[in-house]
Amino acid sequence: MRRLDLALLAGTLFVCLCSWLAQTSTAQALASPGFANRQLVWLAVGLVVMALFAFADYRVLARFAPLFYAGSLLLLLVVLVAAPVRAGTRAWLPIGPFTVQPSEFARVATILAVAAMAAEHRKDRLSLGIVARLLALVAAPVVLVLLEPDLGVALTYLPVVAAVLWIGGLPARAWLALVLGAVAVVGAAWLWYLKPYQKERLLTFADPERAPYGAGYQQRQSRIAVGSGGLTGKGLRSGTQSQLRFLPAQHTDFIFAVWAEETGFVGAAALLLAYALIALRLFVVALQARDRLGGVIASSVGTVFAVQVAVNVAMVTGLAPTTGITLPLLSYGGSSILATFIGLGLVHSVWRLRYANV
Amino acid sequence: MTYVRDDLRSVQRRLVVALLATAAVFVLLLGRLWLLQVVQGARWRTLSENNRLRRIPLEAPRGVVTDVRGDIVLGNRSVFQLLLFPEEMDEPARTARFLTGLEIAPPADVAARIDKALRTSHLPSVLADNLTWRQVAAIAAHRAEYPELEVHPATRRAFPDGPGIAHLAGQLGEADPGQLAANANLHAGQLVGRSGLERAYDDRLGGTPGNLVVVVDAFGRQISELNDEPPVPGRPLQITLDLALQREAVAAMAGQVGAVVALDPRDGAVRVLLSQPAFDPELFAGHLEPAAWRELVGDPLKPLHNRALQALYPPGSTIKPIYAAGALDDGVRTAASRDFCRGGVTIYGHPYRCWLGGGHGGVDIERAIEVSCDTFFYHLARDAGIDQVGSWAREFGLGQATGIELPGESSGLVPDDAWSRRARGQPWYGGETISVGIGQGPILVTPVQLAVAYAALVNGGRLVRPHLVAGTGAAPRPVDVDPIALAAVRRGMERVVTGESGTARRQASLPVVIAGKTGTSQVVRKQEGVRWQELPWEQRHHALFVGYAPVAAPELVVAVVVEHGGDAASVAAPIAGRILQRAFGPPPEPDPAVVANAASAGPPAAPTPRPRPNGSGDAAP
Repeated sequence: MRRLDLALLAGTLFVCLCSWLAQTSTAQALASPGFANRQLVWLAVGLVVMALFAFADYRVLARFAPLFYAGSLLLLLVVLVAAPVRAGTRAWLPIGPFTVQPSEFARVATILAVAAMAAEHRKDRLSLGIVARLLALVAAPVVLVLLEPDLGVALTYLPVVAAVLWIGGLPARAWLALVLGAVAVVGAAWLWYLKPYQKERLLTFADPERAPYGAGYQQRQSRIAVGSGGLTGKGLRSGTQSQLRFLPAQHTDFIFAVWAEETGFVGAAALLLAYALIALRLFVVALQARDRLGGVIASSVGTVFAVQVAVNVAMVTGLAPTTGITLPLLSYGGSSILATFIGLGLVHSVWRLRYANV
Repeated sequence: MTYVRDDLRSVQRRLVVALLATAAVFVLLLGRLWLLQVVQGARWRTLSENNRLRRIPLEAPRGVVTDVRGDIVLGNRSVFQLLLFPEEMDEPARTARFLTGLEIAPPADVAARIDKALRTSHLPSVLADNLTWRQVAAIAAHRAEYPELEVHPATRRAFPDGPGIAHLAGQLGEADPGQLAANANLHAGQLVGRSGLERAYDDRLGGTPGNLVVVVDAFGRQISELNDEPPVPGRPLQITLDLALQREAVAAMAGQVGAVVALDPRDGAVRVLLSQPAFDPELFAGHLEPAAWRELVGDPLKPLHNRALQALYPPGSTIKPIYAAGALDDGVRTAASRDFCRGGVTIYGHPYRCWLGGGHGGVDIERAIEVSCDTFFYHLARDAGIDQVGSWAREFGLGQATGIELPGESSGLVPDDAWSRRARGQPWYGGETISVGIGQGPILVTPVQLAVAYAALVNGGRLVRPHLVAGTGAAPRPVDVDPIALAAVRRGMERVVTGESGTARRQASLPVVIAGKTGTSQVVRKQEGVRWQELPWEQRHHALFVGYAPVAAPELVVAVVVEHGGDAASVAAPIAGRILQRAFGPPPEPDPAVVANAASAGPPAAPTPRPRPNGSGDAAP
C-alpha cells in the first residue's frame, strides 16, 4: 500500500462517502431507494477497478492504447446505430441488466492514446504535424459523441486537448491559431449544432432575467439551494429544495446543490477541498512521473477531473451556464464512476512506478 | 526493454503553472461558496422558505342576514377565487397574457389588477372570484408554469332577491389603505362593507379572516399544512325587514323611479326600504368591473343613489297633516275653524291657486285634509309665519336625520329666516311662506323622514327612530302635540280614502281599509289646461302618498315617492295600497317559486308570526 498515493486515496474515499450520503437524500426526494444503493455498488466496484489499474503497468497499457482507442470508436459507432433513444440522445447501450455509456469509457481510451502519441515526441515543443494528429485523435470520438448528441460529455474531452498541448508545449503563434480556431468552432456550433434550448441556456446565463422559468429556473433554484444551506446546512435528507423537488436533475447535474443545501458551507467546502486535493495530487503525480507518458496521462486525467469539478460547481453556484457536465464520482451513474476510477487507477500506476527502473 | 527517465524539466515547469491555476480555480469556487452560503445565507434561506411556504388568507364568510320571518335577505354561496402570490411571479406580462386568454377580465383590467397586487404587498391578492369551471381547470393544468396562481374555494355574497334589496344591502369593496392600517385583521383585497347594511353592521357581519400556511412542492402541490387559523364567520343578523312586503314593493314600483319606506309606527322597525332604479348587487359582491362601475356612475337616473334615505323631495300636500296637527295644538286653528275656498287666493299682491280651480267651498280642518285644499293651508301658513310653520315640521322630525343605522342619510331642509340669510344671503321672503304652506318651495324631505313623521301622527305622538335591527333604535321622543289634535288629523286622513271627496278615494274599494295623504310636488310651474300625461316625463310632478293601516291601531306606515309620477292618487297611492293589502289583506295564492326558496333557505332563526290585522274594520268615519 505504501506504493499507492495515500493522499489521493483518502480524498477519493471521502468523496465516495459524500456521494453515497448525497444519493440517499435524492433517493428519498425522488422516491427511488435504488439510487443510493446502486451508487454504493458502483463506487465499490469502481474502487476495485481502480486497484486493478493501479497495480497494472501504465506503460504496458499504453502499448495497447491504439487497440482500446479503436475499440472505443467502434462502440461509439454501435451506440449511434443501435442504442435506443433515451432523453433525446443515443448515449446508452443496454448490456444485460445494465446500460453502459461508451462515451465515458472512450474518454479514458482517448487519454491513453493521446498520451502514447505525445510521449513519442521527445522535443521541447510539439511540431505542427503532431499537433494535427493529436487534434484528430480527440476530434474523432468528440464528433461521434456530438452526434448522439451529448454536448455535456463531448465537452469533457476538450480538457484532454488542452492538457496535452500545454504539457507538450506550443509556440505562441500556435496558441493564437488554436484560440482563433476554437472561436470558429464555437461560432459554427452556434449556427449549426446547438439546439435552441442550449442557445437559450447560454443566453439566459448572460441575462438571467431572460427566461426565469426555463433555463433560468434551474439556476435560480440551484442557487437558492446552495445559499439557503448556510454555514451548517439543513441536515442530511432535510433540504427543502431537494426534498420538495425544486431542484432539477438533482441526482445528476445538480447533486452538488443537494449536498451544499443539506450540509452547508462546512460540508460543501470539505467536499470541494477533497476534490481540490484529488486534482492537485494528480498534477503532483504528473510532476513526479518518471516519463513523458506518465506525465501526460496524470495531467490529462487531472485536467479533465479539475475542469469537470470546476465547471459543474460553477454551474451549480450560478457562475457558469448549464452545460450538462456532471460532477465526477458524485453524480449518479455507473459508467461515469467507473471511467473516473479507471483514470485514477492509471494515475496511481504512474505514481507507483515513478522510481521503477524496469 | 529498458526505460530511461525523460528530461522533463520544461514539462514540469508547465505542470507547476497548471497546478497553480487549478488551485486558484478551487480558491475561487470556495470563495463563491462562502459568499452564497455564509455572507448571503440568510437571504437565500428566506427565498427557500418562500419557495415552500404559502400563506393563504381564508376569508370569513359574511354573516347571513335574515328578515323578520327568517327568510334569507343576504346569503352566501361557494365560489372559486383566484389568488396571486406576487413574489412567485417573475414575468407579470406573461401571467397577464395567460389570464387574459382565460377571459378572467379584459386585458387592461388584468394588467391593472396585477399591478395593484404587486404594489399593495407581498401577500397574496385576490385577482378574481367567481371563476368558471373551465377557468379553474385551465389554471390547475398550468400550475407548474404559473406557481404564482392559486385557485382557492371561498364564499361570496348571494342575493336571493337581486336588485330588490340592493340599496338596503349596500355594497362591498376592497378595504382601502386607511382601513388596512387601522385594522390589523384586514388583509389587502379583503372585502368590507362600503354602504348599506354591509357597512352599518360590518363589524358583526365581517367575521375574522383566518390563515392557512401550507408547504408546497416545486409543482405547487400541497404537501402538508403547517398551521391553520380557521376564519371566524360573521355573525348572523336578523333584521326587521319583511321580504314579502319588500317584494310587493318591488313589483308595485316596477318601471318607476322613486322610493318606498314602510315601517312599524309603534317602534320604528323598518319593513320595506326600496330605491328605484336599483343595481345588480352581484356587481359589488366581489371585485368590481371598472366598466360596470362607470356605467352605473354615468347613468343619469343615478341607480347607486339610495333615494329612500338620500333623495330630497318637496313633500307637497303630504306636509298638510303635519301642519294641521301643529296648528291645532298651537291654537292657530281649532277643529271648528272654517275657511272658504274659491279656487285661489291673493296674498301680498300675488295670486296663489288652489289645485281645484273651481274651489272647495267651505272647509274645516278635517275636510281640508280630505280634499287637500290649498287655500286653507295658504291662509294657515300666512297666519302662522315661517318660524311657526317650521317648528311644526321640526317637531315631527323633518329637517334632521332620522338616525336610521344605514350610512349616508340626508337631513332634509326646513327653511326659516336664519337659513335664508345663511344659505342665500338674503332675508326670508314672506311670499315663500305661502308656498311652504303646501309643501312646495325650499322645504325638502326624504322618504324615510315622511314615514317617521306619519308614524308620529298615528302612534299617539312618539317620534320613533327607524331601524333595521331590533333593539338598536333610541327611545322615541314624545311629540309635543295634543292627542285630540292628532285624532282630528287622523280622521282627516281616513277621509282621504273613505270620504266621498277624498283625494285617494279609489283606494276605498280595497278589502283592507287604509288611510293616508296624497301629495304632488311641482317640478316646474303648473301649466293651466295641460294634463300631466301630456307633459314630458322629466317635467311631470313627483307623486307622493303616505298611507297606513289598520286605521284604528296602525301597524304599518308606507311612504311612497314616485319621481315624475305625475299624479299622486293614480300612481303613488295604489303602490302604498298594494303593500298595505299584502300586509293585512287575505294571503295571496302561494307562489311555488317563493315556497321553494323558503324551503331551501335553511333553518330560519326564530320565525316571527306575520303581523295580522286586528280590528281594521271598525275605522271611525
